[in-house]
Amino acid sequence: MGAQSSDLSFLRSLAERQGVEPSDEDLEAVVGFLAGILPALAELEELLPEDAAP
Amino acid sequence: MSVAALAARLRAGELSPREAVEGYLERIEAHRGLNAYISVRAEGALAEADAAEGAAERGPLWGVPVAVKDVIDVAGERTTAASEVLRDNVASRDAAVVEGLRSAGAIVLGKLNLHEFAYGAKTTSEHFGAAHNPWATDRVCGGSSGGSGAAAAADLAAGTLGTDTAGSIRIPAAFCGVTGHRPSVGLVSNEGVVPVAWSFDTVGPIARSAEDCSLLLEAIAPEFRSEPEGGEPRVGLVTSLLAQADPRVAAVVEEAAGAFRPEQVDAPVLDHAGLIQQLMMLPEAAAAHLPWLRTRLADYGADVRARLLAGLLMPATAYPTGLRARRWLDEHVRPLFDRYDVLAAPAMPIVAPLLDEDPVAIGGRLVPYRLALIPFNSPWSCLGLPVTSVPCGFVDGLPVGLALVGRRGADATVLRVAEAFQRETDWHERRPPLLV
Repeated sequence: MGAQSSDLSFLRSLAERQGVEPSDEDLEAVVGFLAGILPALAELEELLPEDAAP
Repeated sequence: MSVAALAARLRAGELSPREAVEGYLERIEAHRGLNAYISVRAEGALAEADAAEGAAERGPLWGVPVAVKDVIDVAGERTTAASEVLRDNVASRDAAVVEGLRSAGAIVLGKLNLHEFAYGAKTTSEHFGAAHNPWATDRVCGGSSGGSGAAAAADLAAGTLGTDTAGSIRIPAAFCGVTGHRPSVGLVSNEGVVPVAWSFDTVGPIARSAEDCSLLLEAIAPEFRSEPEGGEPRVGLVTSLLAQADPRVAAVVEEAAGAFRPEQVDAPVLDHAGLIQQLMMLPEAAAAHLPWLRTRLADYGADVRARLLAGLLMPATAYPTGLRARRWLDEHVRPLFDRYDVLAAPAMPIVAPLLDEDPVAIGGRLVPYRLALIPFNSPWSCLGLPVTSVPCGFVDGLPVGLALVGRRGADATVLRVAEAFQRETDWHERRPPLLV
């Protein structure tokens, strides 16, 4: 299943504002990568004690 | 031949530095198909061998031929990082660790293959070709320091240096049946080394034995001193990692660790380490590469490009959450070292897979190769702990590694325990069939 074009547009904009110009294929890979990490990040944020400081 | 044995023979005058260098150059040529080296500095090494003959001071590694991963600068030589991006990058001076090797008398034979920019675990560079496992040349030698593992296993240098951010010394050491030590973060200087992620990067040795790793570490880490033999170490065997490994690998590791009469340690908190390290490593790597991402994006291999871009585009909260979580993890893991001198675990959950094998099978489950390894690497590298991977047996004729982990700064303790293990076993002396 391909990434939604709005996802790619958002990521492209974010990359271009940092001076990087990825292809659609690059961004599809990033979407897949982030799809694995972001839900786990949300779970970890829930797990951490509120007073956990760096 | 081991670093220790070769150094002793050189000191005794049984062979000259030139003879030692010539012997390795012949072996490198004979095993070019392994693609362990990116560049060989034959003329330079021979000239340095001749110069060593007249050296007024003879250090502990006098005349010993070594090789370094091609992210480590050697003056006048290319540092390519196995990437098109740095194909023509020539170092103007030696990295600090190369200065250390030279001060100890070692001679650098050349630069070793790796996964592009040390940012992957296969050593299958699109630009410089795959390095092959000496135990089975159709299999990966691991990575990112794959050339270092292959060269140590195939005796293409007496000892090697690799780097480890999230497993890059331990993976090739385990897959190639050699000994690798990931030092505590901060023990070894990273000056003159292409970075992956500053919080986790460290240079370390991959060689035939823990004794050899100690000798190399003494040369590159001025503060490191080997420990004398001590009493029986208190060892904890991490059962939660055994349970995640291929059952055949787990059985080999459990039997090997039995030599220490370990207590069983269940530490499910370690399961979070992989994510925590990714949250910090991905943005750090993207930051380190940002100038090249802007100008050379198409020159990266697809896998490395995807990970770098993911780091560039992650939400800003990922990094501080990683920092918070790393401290939280440390607070759970540190007390274990009040009870144990060393933790033992499988270095890797599998033996070396085929070059194109991805996903890999673990106990009937198919898991992406990279994700299969992370749970075994990150618990230790995330916290900057020292780890030695020692050969401890075989599955299907392929080497298995036992990881020995210490508290941060306890490198000498970990290596002492590894040396004790290797005095009682001979797994580290087994050689690949192609060499027999």
